[in-house]
Amino acid sequence: MSKHLIHLTVNGKEHELTVASNELLLNVLRDRLYLTGSKYGCGVGDCGACSILHGDESVLSCLVLAVEADGWDITTVEGLADGDQLNPVQQAFLDNSAVQCGFCVPGMVITSTALLRENDDPSEAEIKDYLRGNYCRCTGYVAMIKSVMDAAAKMRGE
Amino acid sequence: MTVIGTDVARLDGIAKLTGKQQYTGDILIPGMMHAVLLRSPHPHAEIIKIDTSEAEKMGAVCLTYDDILINGQAVVYNERSVSVPAATYRDRTILPNKARHLYEPIAAVAADTEELAYKALQAVKVEYRVLQPVYDPQEAMEEGAPQLYDKVYLGDKEVDICNNIGVSRNISQGDVEAGFARADRIFEQDFELPRIYHAQLETKGCVVAPEPDGGITVWATAQSIHGNRQLLGRALNLPLSKINVKKIAIGGAFGSSIQVNTVTPICAALALKARRPVKLISSREEDFYSHQKYPVRFHVKMGVTNEGMITAAELSALVDFGAHQVQPLPFLGCVAGWFASLYQYGGNIGFHGTAVYTNKTPCCAMQGYGNPQTNFAIESMIDIISGEMGFDAIEFRLKNYRGVGHEFWGQGPTIRTIIKSCGVEESLLKGREIMGWSGRGRHTDKQGRIRHGLGVARGFHTSGTGGPKEGEVIDYSSAFIKINEDGSVDVVTPVMDLGGGTWDAIAKFVSEVLQVPLQRVGLSPTDTKSTAYDVCTHATRGVYCGGGAAYHVALEVRKKLLETAGRLLNEHAENLELVRDDDLGQGVVYVKGLRDNQMTVGEIARQAQINSWGTLQYAGSYRQKNCPPCFTTHFVEVAVDTLTGEITIPKVLIYGDCGTVVNPELFGGQLIGSFGRGMAYTLYENLTMNEEGGFTTKPQAASEPIYTSQPVKDGELLNHGALADYKLPTSSEMPLIENVLVRHTDTYEPTGPFGAKGIAESAIASVQAAIANAIYNAIGIRFYRLPITPEIVLQAIQKKAVK
Amino acid sequence: MGSRILLSDFAYLAPTTLAEALQILAEKQAVKILAGGTDLLLRMKLGTISHVDYVMDIKHIKELNYACLCDEKQCGSTANGAFCIGPTATLNQIAKNGDLSRLFPAQREAILAMAATSVRNRGTMAGNICNASPVADSAIPAICYGAALTLQSRRGKRIVALEDFFRGPGETELEKDEMLVNIALPVPPADSGAAFIKKSRVKPDIAKISLGVFIERDGTLIKRCRIAMGSVAPLPLYVQKISEGLAGLEMNEQLIAKTAQMVKAALKPISDLRTNQEYRRAISSVLVEEGLRLAWRNAGGELK
Repeated sequence: MSKHLIHLTVNGKEHELTVASNELLLNVLRDRLYLTGSKYGCGVGDCGACSILHGDESVLSCLVLAVEADGWDITTVEGLADGDQLNPVQQAFLDNSAVQCGFCVPGMVITSTALLRENDDPSEAEIKDYLRGNYCRCTGYVAMIKSVMDAAAKMRGE
Repeated sequence: MTVIGTDVARLDGIAKLTGKQQYTGDILIPGMMHAVLLRSPHPHAEIIKIDTSEAEKMGAVCLTYDDILINGQAVVYNERSVSVPAATYRDRTILPNKARHLYEPIAAVAADTEELAYKALQAVKVEYRVLQPVYDPQEAMEEGAPQLYDKVYLGDKEVDICNNIGVSRNISQGDVEAGFARADRIFEQDFELPRIYHAQLETKGCVVAPEPDGGITVWATAQSIHGNRQLLGRALNLPLSKINVKKIAIGGAFGSSIQVNTVTPICAALALKARRPVKLISSREEDFYSHQKYPVRFHVKMGVTNEGMITAAELSALVDFGAHQVQPLPFLGCVAGWFASLYQYGGNIGFHGTAVYTNKTPCCAMQGYGNPQTNFAIESMIDIISGEMGFDAIEFRLKNYRGVGHEFWGQGPTIRTIIKSCGVEESLLKGREIMGWSGRGRHTDKQGRIRHGLGVARGFHTSGTGGPKEGEVIDYSSAFIKINEDGSVDVVTPVMDLGGGTWDAIAKFVSEVLQVPLQRVGLSPTDTKSTAYDVCTHATRGVYCGGGAAYHVALEVRKKLLETAGRLLNEHAENLELVRDDDLGQGVVYVKGLRDNQMTVGEIARQAQINSWGTLQYAGSYRQKNCPPCFTTHFVEVAVDTLTGEITIPKVLIYGDCGTVVNPELFGGQLIGSFGRGMAYTLYENLTMNEEGGFTTKPQAASEPIYTSQPVKDGELLNHGALADYKLPTSSEMPLIENVLVRHTDTYEPTGPFGAKGIAESAIASVQAAIANAIYNAIGIRFYRLPITPEIVLQAIQKKAVK
Repeated sequence: MGSRILLSDFAYLAPTTLAEALQILAEKQAVKILAGGTDLLLRMKLGTISHVDYVMDIKHIKELNYACLCDEKQCGSTANGAFCIGPTATLNQIAKNGDLSRLFPAQREAILAMAATSVRNRGTMAGNICNASPVADSAIPAICYGAALTLQSRRGKRIVALEDFFRGPGETELEKDEMLVNIALPVPPADSGAAFIKKSRVKPDIAKISLGVFIERDGTLIKRCRIAMGSVAPLPLYVQKISEGLAGLEMNEQLIAKTAQMVKAALKPISDLRTNQEYRRAISSVLVEEGLRLAWRNAGGELK
């Protein structure tokens, strides 16, 4: 076991932490920074519930060592909204009733946000492809896909 | 304007979208310990000795069988408590002294960190006496098969278990033999449905904090807070007043937490022993071994006249329910009920159900409680008969279905209701127009590599388990509602919302009855201490029963409000009108026809307070005395690749009949989500396990080499509990969104709040058969077993070509 | 049973130069190289990996992160140059590269067929290859394109053809002190084309079977063909004999059908939890036919 001093910027806030070599980023976010929005769903990168943004890219925090994330600029689901103003993806999910049990939702909105930062006009096929690593057992995805389309349109100013 | 039937942002939407919604695993308590479970590496073994001394030296607190004894006795219970005690089999204890399925928890360890808990767990030594397992339900009933139990309890009665048969039920009505004798043709067929897994996104977990008064506070993955409280009281011998189960969001259920989850009493016992808060969250791999869906083998027999009337029907069901009874007794009753309620069968119905113990993970309800299984068999059979006898599959259904005025068995033979609203005919007739039924063609006309087919099936589920008479199942709900002094309203309900929008429906009912703007209806965070009983959010009863109770309590509050207003306005309550005033942001009361003389609801409440008349509130329990069926119809188009056996679904039409639609988009969400799960059940999901060490080894399984990167234990799932190797459909497997058509029928349920009944579980009932029927229409091959994988399809196509 | 945390007890090393990394490999025992971690960490969680004392994160070695066209001979490139991929280049970094997409569309497709975007943002092609799984998607078209790997240790460098790199499930040509430092995809000549086809249970899944085809065309004749398949053998399979036998032959439907049958007859796949051997065999010919047609068309050829 080795211990490491790391620096993380999470949702704009800087943190200095000492982590053990085997600590996972997800558990550090949840148990040490109390950001419990990112969820454990499978622990092995299948379900997407632990997705976070590393810069603009979506990453599965259950498969990242905390020490690997030294120096990262991270956005978790808690950091997507600007005060009370939901981000366009969150707002579209709300408007389209795309939320049911909500457990996959943090990962789903994080991944959708990453998609729209990369592509502001994704086709339905591109959205489905992008979200295929985020399981939702409740909704059948349709309202979520529609939400991403709506959010994209809004971001394009349509 | 009414809020019923309008789309508004769901109450918990913002919390869920911003990561602020707490689920059980998000509860953090200072000083909390983390628990992990020691699980049996053998599917069947007696536990001779557990030595926890090394683990304890590491600072861990351990829980074994000896710790759960109360006066030297382990409390035997059933995790599921929605049935009356006399109809509940009890066979399990908090921890067992015999493991009956692979990875059954046999001890628990808590430590300061999860890592330390795992390390301590590795230091626990267990001595087993390994027993032979039995996996196949048929084999389990054979002479000489390993026995899981000698005796269990039915209610308070001790009952012997022979040949591993847990439950058998025979139910009949009319004269089946005479019915068959009247038929021109008799059809018989076997069907088989696999074990699958709920795959709710939140793994089951629990957090328990011991309180200074000797009680406990509990956060648990649960569909019923009161169910959890009562079981914990019984298992831990604590007064119920010392157990407070908090209502907390659940990350998907689908029936997986109707029963109290196995981890919950373990966590509570551990917390009491440790005298510290304990958190116990299952890993995904563990969750796979916690509960699964009932697999069923059916034999169906139906008699039909040349005129297209079904004269009698008989159904046999063999259920392999695993190592513990999470209530196959009501399950078999429900299977009989779903079967009996689909068609009239000339009033001649026979049902024979047998449910058998095997050394597998226990089965519990999963969306439909036997309904999707039964529906697949019966609705496939209807399609087979239509095809064989040359009937139009829709006309044949319309001739024979049970609709308004007929009896519906909402929860087995003891819970029955007369159908008062029914959208079956509308959905079939309109659906066939929308989907071009008449142009679907016959499979013999179809050519080319990709062949399209159109199939239909119809189904239903109950709305709750209430009835005019009490039966095998407990059903009532409660609510407490009060009007605050500014005209806003607090609603306290024990009902859980599993994600479908039950809470939104309850808030809307209250908003409508009390004419208070929806934004000013608050749903209180609550718990078992401050609510009266609700049985559980199961059986599609959230809106109809939970909402029904809130509706009736709201009516009482409205009565009080008008009486109080009458005193203040010097008018008889009956002459008063209550309407919502959106400009004022609250309700107003005035004398009918005299709008000038009005008071806002807030003014009335405030004045009642100033006059010391009391708060405008009411608390009550309410039982729905019906269990109206909510109906669904599925028209599914499939495309079959005849070279690879792959099946895709280009288009689907889903008709739902929930009476009045309360939350339209959430109604659609239920139907579409259920379609996705039904598609998965039909085409993808299956829990395959290594059965090598079973009572009699299956030759075909042994001859097939299995390569995995990990060794596979006897009784182990081949996917090793990984979601990646269990096939959940992703966004990519869904049809184009414009080709997922959702409609609701124009129906009104007179016994429901504002005409509403349920929808949830009905939404999956007929998906499976609709897909299988569409496949038959495409390629002329009938599949009697699920899942219908490309491997199976291709093999069948090749076999057909050889013929 | 413990995917919630990582139990294993290891020291984390983060060398900043290749030399340092090679020294660690040479001197320490039970070292695992961490690039994307999407495979390593999950296997460590599930305990399907042998004992690990050191996890060596190579992402701090700046010189190893690249995915670009390169004409240096050291990467074993042909006259046309090569597209070179460093060991820490992520799958998405590679797939999003314009040159790769233009010159190696089948490689791009295979990479995009893997898992899902969040995994590809971390996972690397080098990792996918070094895991030496018979189903390694990224290896299949790479074999067809004639990929060459550079393996380096303190003892020196050597170049190995990708198809010769695999020895069995999880086993490779790599010596204990060696590291894969470059993947070179030789730039294909004009009149060539490739295809990649994958069948899986659901979209992000590991393949039931996959196929890559590369064809260099000479008018209506096949000049050179390389067929590779995943999930049909203990290692990613280069279908060498049959591929080489196609050189100089006239491309037509009969040849396609015959080749497909030959491949099917030559395969000895196994059954596993993803599919069974019968199915693998049955659809292998369907895939080969589709792949040959597609690659031929992509090479500018016509089929009557």
